[in-house]
Amino acid sequence: DGKPPKFQPPPKPVIIDRKTQKEERRFLSPEFIPPRGRTDPLKYYIERKDMIQRRKVFNIPEFYVGHVLAVTTADPYASDKSNRFVGICIQRGGKGLGATFVLRNVIEDQGVEICYELYSPRIQAIEVLKLEKRLDENLMYLRDALPEYSTFDVNMKPVSRMDHEEIPVNKLQVRMKPKPWSKRWERPKYNIKGIKFELPEHKMKAAQKWSQPWLEFDLLREYDTSKIEEKIRKELREELEK
Amino acid sequence: MRLSVAAAISHGRVYRRLGLSPQSRLDLLRNLVTALVRHERIETPWARADEMRGYAERLIDYAKRGDTDERAMRMADFWLTEKDLIHKLFKVLAPRFQPHPGSYTRLLQIPSRDGLDRAKMAVIELKGNPLPPLVRPRRDSDRTLLNQLLKGYRQDARRAAAP
Repeated sequence: DGKPPKFQPPPKPVIIDRKTQKEERRFLSPEFIPPRGRTDPLKYYIERKDMIQRRKVFNIPEFYVGHVLAVTTADPYASDKSNRFVGICIQRGGKGLGATFVLRNVIEDQGVEICYELYSPRIQAIEVLKLEKRLDENLMYLRDALPEYSTFDVNMKPVSRMDHEEIPVNKLQVRMKPKPWSKRWERPKYNIKGIKFELPEHKMKAAQKWSQPWLEFDLLREYDTSKIEEKIRKELREELEK
Repeated sequence: MRLSVAAAISHGRVYRRLGLSPQSRLDLLRNLVTALVRHERIETPWARADEMRGYAERLIDYAKRGDTDERAMRMADFWLTEKDLIHKLFKVLAPRFQPHPGSYTRLLQIPSRDGLDRAKMAVIELKGNPLPPLVRPRRDSDRTLLNQLLKGYRQDARRAAAP
């Protein structure tokens, strides 16, 4: 018809709020989650308050097992009073203020592992040089792996990373030195996925003799931390915003 | 050398040692859980009933997630040896306990077993079962002081309302 068509307003823009999306995937450091036991929750509450206090003053970055970190500690016997160590994080242990992480590196053909306490006041800086998760939560088998898998350059430059990207998982399968090892890593109790076992078939089958398939179905051994984590995340968010 | 006292101490251990081995313990408890789901009230030694209670309640919590959940189905498949009970678990027991947040079982002690071992026996039942109740709730006797006073009050109220 002769009349001009009715004005159609443009469609409303869809706003994707990246900040709220990020908060849903927030990382909660494992030392905040209280272990299962009969201790008074007051102890963990007080520890958490102290941990938050320390985190306000000193930035502890988000890191997992498998990341390469550089830690500067205060050292009274060094010439410039500080000591820098670079290494791959092989395990994170402990809960509360005593939380530790072990860094491993091979310096001049000698394997060195240093266990640092996250909340120790002697630590002056923690930098994450390389971000990558591995297939396992515990990389103690690197002690029995070939030294090339544990060597990291001391003057490595930090690898840049975008904030919103997922942390990449390195599916590296590590080659081991010949047996004997410090632990029998082929046994199913360790459940290691990151080793390329070059053992003969009958040895791998013999190791499966120690498997306990009923453990996976043992209902009372499961510890569901989702509700506890929610509460602690909320508490952390409130405290750190103050 | 005092061996006996030290052998009896078990600091902080939560799981009892039943059967021949950890696998045997789980098999025992699995049979008991299957029997409980089938008959809804069973009579067993008290220690076994107490161990089994936690597993039964956690199994019902898994069943509440629904039968589309992969993990819930695997757990039900392991814990119920008679496969027709999986249907009963998901279709009858899960809806029955959906409104309740926890404690789906009742554990009551019974006189000890008649045989040579005089074992401490217990009966464990799922709440809301169709069988006659184990404990009949009893009203307080009419001879207590409070009940006599209340009875007198009720009579006075009736006399005042009647004419």
